[in-house]
Amino acid sequence: MMPARFARWSLLLLAIILFAIWLPQAHNKLFEYRFGKTHLFYSPVAKTFIYKELLGEGHQFVYRDREGNNYSREQFETLIPFIYYKNMDLWGKLPLELDGNSFDIQTIRKERQVMELKPVELTEYNPRIQLFPLLESNPGRARLRFPENVFRPGDSLEFIDSDHNHPTPSHDESGDHDHPTLELTEDFSAALTVAGFQFPVTATYGQVSILKAFDAGYFLVDNQDRLYHLIRKDGHPTVWRVALPDSVKVRFIKVTENKRRETVGFLLDQENKLHIISYSTYQLIPLNLPGYNPDTMELKIIFNPLYRTTIYSDQENIYAVAMDKEYRVIDSFSRTMAMAAPRLPDQIRDFLSPFRLELRDPNSRYFAMQLIWNGNIAIFGSIAAMLLAVAYLRLRGYKPFSHPVDIALVLLSGFYGLIALILLPPDND
Amino acid sequence: MLLRSIFLKEWLKIRWFWFVALALNLGILVYLFIDIRHQFQVEHSEMIWYWVFELRRLLYTEIKYIPAITGAMLAAAQFAPEMINGRFRLSLHLPLRNELLVGSWVLFGAIMSGLLALIDAIGLYFIVLTWFPQEAAVSAVLTALPWFLGGWVAYFGATLVLLEPQPLRRLTYLGLSIAFMSILFLEKGYQEYDRVILVLSACALLFVPAIMLPAHRYRHRN
Repeated sequence: MMPARFARWSLLLLAIILFAIWLPQAHNKLFEYRFGKTHLFYSPVAKTFIYKELLGEGHQFVYRDREGNNYSREQFETLIPFIYYKNMDLWGKLPLELDGNSFDIQTIRKERQVMELKPVELTEYNPRIQLFPLLESNPGRARLRFPENVFRPGDSLEFIDSDHNHPTPSHDESGDHDHPTLELTEDFSAALTVAGFQFPVTATYGQVSILKAFDAGYFLVDNQDRLYHLIRKDGHPTVWRVALPDSVKVRFIKVTENKRRETVGFLLDQENKLHIISYSTYQLIPLNLPGYNPDTMELKIIFNPLYRTTIYSDQENIYAVAMDKEYRVIDSFSRTMAMAAPRLPDQIRDFLSPFRLELRDPNSRYFAMQLIWNGNIAIFGSIAAMLLAVAYLRLRGYKPFSHPVDIALVLLSGFYGLIALILLPPDND
Repeated sequence: MLLRSIFLKEWLKIRWFWFVALALNLGILVYLFIDIRHQFQVEHSEMIWYWVFELRRLLYTEIKYIPAITGAMLAAAQFAPEMINGRFRLSLHLPLRNELLVGSWVLFGAIMSGLLALIDAIGLYFIVLTWFPQEAAVSAVLTALPWFLGGWVAYFGATLVLLEPQPLRRLTYLGLSIAFMSILFLEKGYQEYDRVILVLSACALLFVPAIMLPAHRYRHRN
């Protein structure tokens, strides 16, 4: 009967989809291991790149430099004294003499900074309700605090009162200063317009937190792709136009306030070139990062009293670029991490089926049903699964090719199809 | 005319369960309202907005599994009685093609469970809108969409399990339904299913024709 056959095929297809999602997940749960993730640094002592990598199970770390010399853990830490400065202090190695300069613990602390950018932070990988609190950047007290309103970037900068969940609290007379959201909307929108901003706002970037060194407000992009910086100071708007070179169109900005007040964040342009935004002058410092892909790579910049080292990696390759304090490249290095080496459980997974469906993309907060091809090895797996399917049908008393759709499904999906066929065998109709 | 009679018969069969399910769904919505109100009584509004917008905390997870429970419950109300004393076999002898008969049963059940999911969605929207701007209310409904889809999957999954005559095959259907349901409740924050909900809904549609298989197997069992 045709409908019953269609019904069974739908079930087989459903089972194959579910196996393609869950069996690879089971593989990950069983066989994933922190094995092989590389930690890469530029040593200001040895003037070369050094790395730490896990080679086997347990804690079999290797500490090595680019030239292949091995070190003990203590030697390794001594090679990057600005990272392990507390150990250096404990071991009596401070103040540190390097390149004719002396660095004591205060100097090191003052110069240390880390900036990070991960793909998951980019707008397209990160659902975000477009409502933002604009903190008072001159709070006149020890800590920052959230205001009782957020702004809605759109045709104006509309402020909404959080106590009353309304742009203009209904019980307030206009002009009442207890809940001045209407006034805020007018003041801040007008200040932006006076500075040349053309509404609507097309993008809003800021760091929403009170646990930061200070508040740098928001960077807003107008409908002419121009960039503006907005802060709330003493309750009033302060707006600056940020001049961008003609070649730079904003793809993403990460605002990251640091107490050193040397930088205010990253600007990623639409050519995927990364820039550091200087604090106060907004000067863009383009970074020279060969092989960098912001959609797949996590990046960090480690600042110390002598160097800036950019390290970026995906699941397979890690890159590092060492720069001086003026961001001039001194040296660079890249390496395929030990974790990228193919492992037996992965090869078995790839053999069992031509594809898998990945639900989670590690670089995105959004779920996906990403179809991933397992490679040529799956051809053998699919043929094996098909032969087993024919044998199975025969065993159950069917003619070998009496169920061509079943056989085709197994051939196309490998062992997912075979398991589905065994769980949902054809009826004797 | 026959369809109307079938719908009427199904309605008579499940009405009390449906009203219990309605009471359960409304009860959870009332609880949700009280719970969010309580949050705003004990905590500053700007902090809650920060948790919700920035830290992605979901304040409405109370309703997460309700559509699924409702769906399974309605399927049980509709099909458990059919399984007693071979009544199902009797129904399959009505002067109507079996697919149409079974199809109209599940259509009725899917509409009735969908109606409850719709009430949940509207309730969720207006409850969130009471304390948050519209963006957050829309976001809440989008976030809850996979949970509502879970209601339908639970309904069709339970129907498959109940109509199937053979115990081992029932386990297979149960396993497949649970495997599908498990995809729908994995969120850590809001709107994470936005880009995949349509594909998941399309996959869930495979359950609809699948319902014909146990009916066919039931009728033609030895």
